[in-house]
Amino acid sequence: MKSFVTSTAFAILASTAMADTITLYTSQPNADAQRTVDAFMAANPGTEVDWVRDGTTKLMARLRAEIGAGNPQPDVLLIADTVTLEGMAQEGLLTAYQSPEAGDYDAALHSAEGYYHSTKLITTGIVYNTGVDTAPSSWNDLSDASIKGQIAMPSPLYSGAALIHLATLTGDEALGWEYYENLAANDARAQGGNGGTFKAVASGEKPYGMVVDFLAIRNKADGSPIDFVFPEEGVSYVTEPVAIMSSAKNVEGAEKFVDFLLSSEGQELVLDMGYIPARDGMGVPEGFPAREDIKLMAFDPAEALANAEANKGKFAELFGAE
Amino acid sequence: MSVAQQNGGSRSEARLLSAILVVAICLTLAPVLRLFVEGVTDQGNPSMALMRDVLAQPSTLSALKHSLVTAGFGTLVSLVLGAAFAFLVALTDLRAKAALVFCLMIPMMIPPQITALSWTQIMGPSSVLLKTLGIAPPLGAPQPLYSPEGIIFLLGIQHMSIIFLTLRAGLRSIPQDVVEAARISGAKGLRTWWQVVMPLTLPSLAAGTAITFVTALGNFGIPAMLGIPAGYATLPTLVYQKLAGMGTTLLAEVSVLAMLIGAVAVAGILLQRLCQSRQRLHLVGSTSRPLALPLGTARLPVEILLWAVVFAILVLPMFGLLATSLVPAYGVTLRFDTVTLASWYEVLFRQPVTSRAFANSFGLAAGASVALVVISLPLAWLMERRKTRLARLFDSLLDLPYALPGVVLSIAMILLLIKLPFTEATLYGTIWIIFLAYLARFFAVMFRPVQASLKQFDPAMDEAAQSVGASLYRRLRDVIFPLSAPAAAAGAILVFLTAFNELTVSALLWSSGTETLGVVIFNLDDSGETGMASALAMTIVFVVVVLMVLIQLFSRRFPKGVVPWQT
Repeated sequence: MKSFVTSTAFAILASTAMADTITLYTSQPNADAQRTVDAFMAANPGTEVDWVRDGTTKLMARLRAEIGAGNPQPDVLLIADTVTLEGMAQEGLLTAYQSPEAGDYDAALHSAEGYYHSTKLITTGIVYNTGVDTAPSSWNDLSDASIKGQIAMPSPLYSGAALIHLATLTGDEALGWEYYENLAANDARAQGGNGGTFKAVASGEKPYGMVVDFLAIRNKADGSPIDFVFPEEGVSYVTEPVAIMSSAKNVEGAEKFVDFLLSSEGQELVLDMGYIPARDGMGVPEGFPAREDIKLMAFDPAEALANAEANKGKFAELFGAE
Repeated sequence: MSVAQQNGGSRSEARLLSAILVVAICLTLAPVLRLFVEGVTDQGNPSMALMRDVLAQPSTLSALKHSLVTAGFGTLVSLVLGAAFAFLVALTDLRAKAALVFCLMIPMMIPPQITALSWTQIMGPSSVLLKTLGIAPPLGAPQPLYSPEGIIFLLGIQHMSIIFLTLRAGLRSIPQDVVEAARISGAKGLRTWWQVVMPLTLPSLAAGTAITFVTALGNFGIPAMLGIPAGYATLPTLVYQKLAGMGTTLLAEVSVLAMLIGAVAVAGILLQRLCQSRQRLHLVGSTSRPLALPLGTARLPVEILLWAVVFAILVLPMFGLLATSLVPAYGVTLRFDTVTLASWYEVLFRQPVTSRAFANSFGLAAGASVALVVISLPLAWLMERRKTRLARLFDSLLDLPYALPGVVLSIAMILLLIKLPFTEATLYGTIWIIFLAYLARFFAVMFRPVQASLKQFDPAMDEAAQSVGASLYRRLRDVIFPLSAPAAAAGAILVFLTAFNELTVSALLWSSGTETLGVVIFNLDDSGETGMASALAMTIVFVVVVLMVLIQLFSRRFPKGVVPWQT
């Protein structure tokens, strides 16, 4: 009997299925995810948010498994890139939603049908440990033989932002796949996500790296011995879009969440957490150059989606990663 | 008592035995069987094509090689450390042995991913501790633990307690008379050691080595934390990376990898059985005093050395964790003006996942302990009384889910429960799949001690109770349960402590809302939140040590044998 009582007790713990709860899958760092959820719940009393955080690729693998098992958990996705969501939209896994807030956004930042809406701009640039002799200023500085074996970068097999970064750089005429071949020849380590890369650079284990802007700029403000450079060729970027699943159990709650993220209140929060907001006329957080000074490299989502598997395969071959 | 009534009692026993056996077989053997079927069929037809394909992949072969190298040499490290401690603690007149034994148990109870996390904090250029002391290696120096040697070293430390415990138990059963007899016959010093003590301990040494090898082979936390950043995959991390990157579309392929790990594990166990059967020495009169060789003037230096090792493997890494959890950002030097409790506050009070994971891990561990007691007690007793063919077969196979590495079991569980037979329902993505996996995994841990205690029990007592008309339930409650309670309690404590810290099984089975503590630490570190991961890891180490100390403090009130690390 005891086992029955215990089992029942944690069945209740496990499924705190309340009337107005939405489940969010996000790739934001834990602390940011918590702040986002807190702010949303403060603005929308009565709607609870259960959230799970993981790297975009791992999160998608988990979601695919859940869909296969006929039991997808999330109502809302807030993940790194539009390419993943574009693919899901084409498969009919997302619900279109025309948010009333979308008018204040560049049309390129959301799907025309409303399948997903960008919430912020996250660029990938160069990070380096302040203990090094010469600061890098161009992507090509990372393939320089003088720093052989001292470079870390996130793996596109793992991180959504890193996959787009790969597609952007290899799609660039001046850099191309040759650049990645040079990086591989320079013994650059490509394992794990942006978190691991940042750790390697901040610790000095690999003093140079490619990483998303906010991790570097925010930790620098907290005292980490690192600096972040927007390379002269420009930076790649992802926009952390939000989307509602077509299998969502609480569509109304999910729509409220999307509206909140896109509202000026939600975008103030984005700014406050140290990200570049996607909404027009919001400014940039401390430590960033003015938005018009950030040079974004050209990127074609449709092409990136079409090439995603080929890019991953080619990358795995070059870097010998699993 | 009339004959009819006795037969009635006997029939109800037979029915109960069959019922519990079915439950136990479904729990423990069905997943393994399901896994086997997956590997050797292709869409329902027998086929070895998939197996051939997977085994021919270069990544499979290199992971297999890495697994064998790290588990093999890791076992060697455990063997050296564990055996040295066991010989000294069991055979000599060291002081404060109880404290030493207690401290040596802690590495086994600390989750492997915490061991790995804490060691990376005290080595390499990233070490906050070394930086604070001003002796950190230069920029660009590699983290020495992100290497096969690092994995071997930490696997060795993590599992030395297993060798220590099994060998010490073996050594304690060697009576002093044997050594005295050898001395009288003229054997001196080391010769007594090599020719008398060593051969007698070989069976327990072989047993301990096999368990250590299999445990090291299935370890996920250490190769995941140290190997993934270095691109060095072992079989369990290869399975994890494939499933994490691609999802269950690769389930069939991954199940072949799981079977490969299982095959290596079984080979390890069989090899040990072979060694043991060739090495059969019998001891007579093991009731006399155990050995206590005087160390003489060497005693103090040996004691200092042993405690220094305990300090190095236990306390030092904890300082590393503490230092990292107290700085505001990764890479900052710890000084009085940089100390902050922000990571502690964030992970303990702000992150809902932490309390969720505590509740999940606690509930799963407690639930598994209780459920296993409820199944194991009557089953062990009934199997002892009625040795049916099915019961004997089950007896010989029930160690399988525990002997097989956790990754193998999780894949088996996913295959079995992703679509429940005859329904559209699934347990994948719920907490129940983790719970059922824990029941399968820890079944033998609970069952074997209970079974051993009941083997020593005189059936006359039960027959007496039966002859005065006690019902089956009554006899179980009033006779069997009190007699096997100490063994059941020991099993329950071990199941609880191991399940509370578990990562290998839950890493593949968790989902939204069902995170365990092991999963949370692994994911926090993985996303670069090392400060938060360290703070949570320290909290868990604290909880585990407090639990162990409480058990130790109450041990005098418990019957002998309840506390697993006291023999």
